[in-house]
Amino acid sequence: MLAKYKTISFELVHGIGHLILDQPPSNKMTIDFFSEFHHILDGLHSVENLKAIVISGRGRHFSAGADLDQLLSLVRHESRKDAGGEMVDLPSFLEKNYKTFLSLEALNIPVIAAIRGVCLGSGFELALFCHFRFCGEDALFGLPESTYNLIPGIGGTSRVSILSGKPKALELVLHGNTFSAEDALGFNLVDKIFPKKQVVEMAISFARKISTSYKKEKAKLYLNKL
Amino acid sequence: MERNKNAEWDVRNSIGILTLSNPPENYLMEPEFIGVEFLQSRIQNERVKGIILCGAGRHFSGGAKLENLFQMANDRDNMMRQLEKGKALLDYFEYLEIPVIAAIKGVCFGAGLEIALAAHLRVCSGNALFAFPESNYGLIPGLGGIERLSEKASFPQTLNMILKGDIIDVKEAREMKIADYIVPDNEVFDFSFSLLKRMTEERSLKVIHYVMRALMNTKHLSIPEAMKEETRMFCELASEEAEKRNKNQDN
Repeated sequence: MLAKYKTISFELVHGIGHLILDQPPSNKMTIDFFSEFHHILDGLHSVENLKAIVISGRGRHFSAGADLDQLLSLVRHESRKDAGGEMVDLPSFLEKNYKTFLSLEALNIPVIAAIRGVCLGSGFELALFCHFRFCGEDALFGLPESTYNLIPGIGGTSRVSILSGKPKALELVLHGNTFSAEDALGFNLVDKIFPKKQVVEMAISFARKISTSYKKEKAKLYLNKL
Repeated sequence: MERNKNAEWDVRNSIGILTLSNPPENYLMEPEFIGVEFLQSRIQNERVKGIILCGAGRHFSGGAKLENLFQMANDRDNMMRQLEKGKALLDYFEYLEIPVIAAIKGVCFGAGLEIALAAHLRVCSGNALFAFPESNYGLIPGLGGIERLSEKASFPQTLNMILKGDIIDVKEAREMKIADYIVPDNEVFDFSFSLLKRMTEERSLKVIHYVMRALMNTKHLSIPEAMKEETRMFCELASEEAEKRNKNQDN
C-alpha cells in the first residue's frame, strides 16, 4: 500500500493518511496521477487503523488541474462514436475518475482537503469531493473548463450546484473565472480560511480531533470543534 | 422590438430581452404573457445565448389583475387552459438550455414572482418588493410558484410567505435565496446584461447547453447518474476540441 508512487506521496502518521499531489510546482493531474490515485483509493481498505485522509499539494499550490494536452489526446484515441458522432462509450479512464471521486466521498473517515495557492479544474473537483475544505488566504479557485470549450468533467458542476446553489454554479461554470478564498467561503465552497502556512497543520490536527467519533452525515457540525 | 401579447422582445448582442410591458404595474392580462412558439423561433433563428426578463418602467410585474382573473374564472375550462399554457411557458423558461436572468425592480408580486422564480438567476434592486398575495383573496399561486419557492427557500419560509401573503423586501428575499444579487436601483438591467454577457459571450452554444443540462441533471438524476452524464458531455466536447487542435496542427 505505501508503495512509492511517481506523482503522489502517501504518508501515514498516527493513523492519518496524508496524500500529497507531488508534481510541483503546479501538481498537474496527469494520466499517471489519476491511475496512481485510483490505486491508492482501491487499497485504502487494507490500511490498518486508517483514521482520516488529508489531501494537499506539494509546494505552493494544490493543483492547476488536469494536463489538458494529455487528456485531449487520450479522449481522441479512446472514445468511440456512432455514425451520428454521438459518444457511445466513455473512455474507461474518464469513467473511473468520477467513480474514484465518488468513492473518496463515500469513505466513512474524515477526508479533508488542505488547499494552498492554485486549485483549479479537476484539482478543484477533487477538493469538492472531500468532506471538508480548508484553505490558505492566498488560495485561488476556479473551474476554467468553459474557457477551453469544455465543461468540468468530474462532477464539478453538480458539486458546486449542491454547495453554492444553482444560480452561483451557473455563473461560475459558464464564466470560468477564478475567485479568492474569501469568495469561496462566501459561496460555501470552503469551510475555513487559515494563514497559508498553517493550513496543512490545521487540517491534520482537525482530522485527529474528529476521527474518533466521526459521523459523515453530520460532517459540518464538527467544524464547531475548530 | 417586437410585441407579442403582454411583452416585448428584442435581441442585443445575442442576448434576448423580454420586457413585461403593461405599465405602470405590468399586470399580466393572461398567464401565457408571450407565446412559447414565438419565443422558440426567435431564440433559434437569432442564436440567442441568454435571456433577460424584465419589466417596463419602474416595476417588474404586479402579477395578474384581480378583476381580470375573476372574470376568467367564470369559464372554468377556459381558465384551466389558460393556466396550463402559463405553466408551460414558465416550464419552458426553466428548462431552456440557455441562462435566463430575471432583472427585478420595484414590485414583483403573484404571477410576476412566479415568472421570476422560473428564471435561473435573479438580480434585484434594493427597492424590489416580493409577495404572493393570493391567499388574501382566498386563492393560492397558480403557476407553480409554491413548488419553485420551496425549492429555494426553507419549508417554514415558504409556508409563511404563501399563507401570510405579506410583502417582503430584498433583504428578506436574499435570506430566502430568491434574490441572488442586490444592486443599486438604476443598475439592475445593466448589471444583468453584463453578467449574462460575461457568462456567454465567448462560449459556444454547445458549451452553454451542456452546462445548463449538467445543472438540470442534478435535479432529475441521482448523483452518480448526473456525474456520468457530465463526464459523457465533457468527453464529447473534449473529442471535438482534440479534433480541432489536430486539424490546426496539420494545416
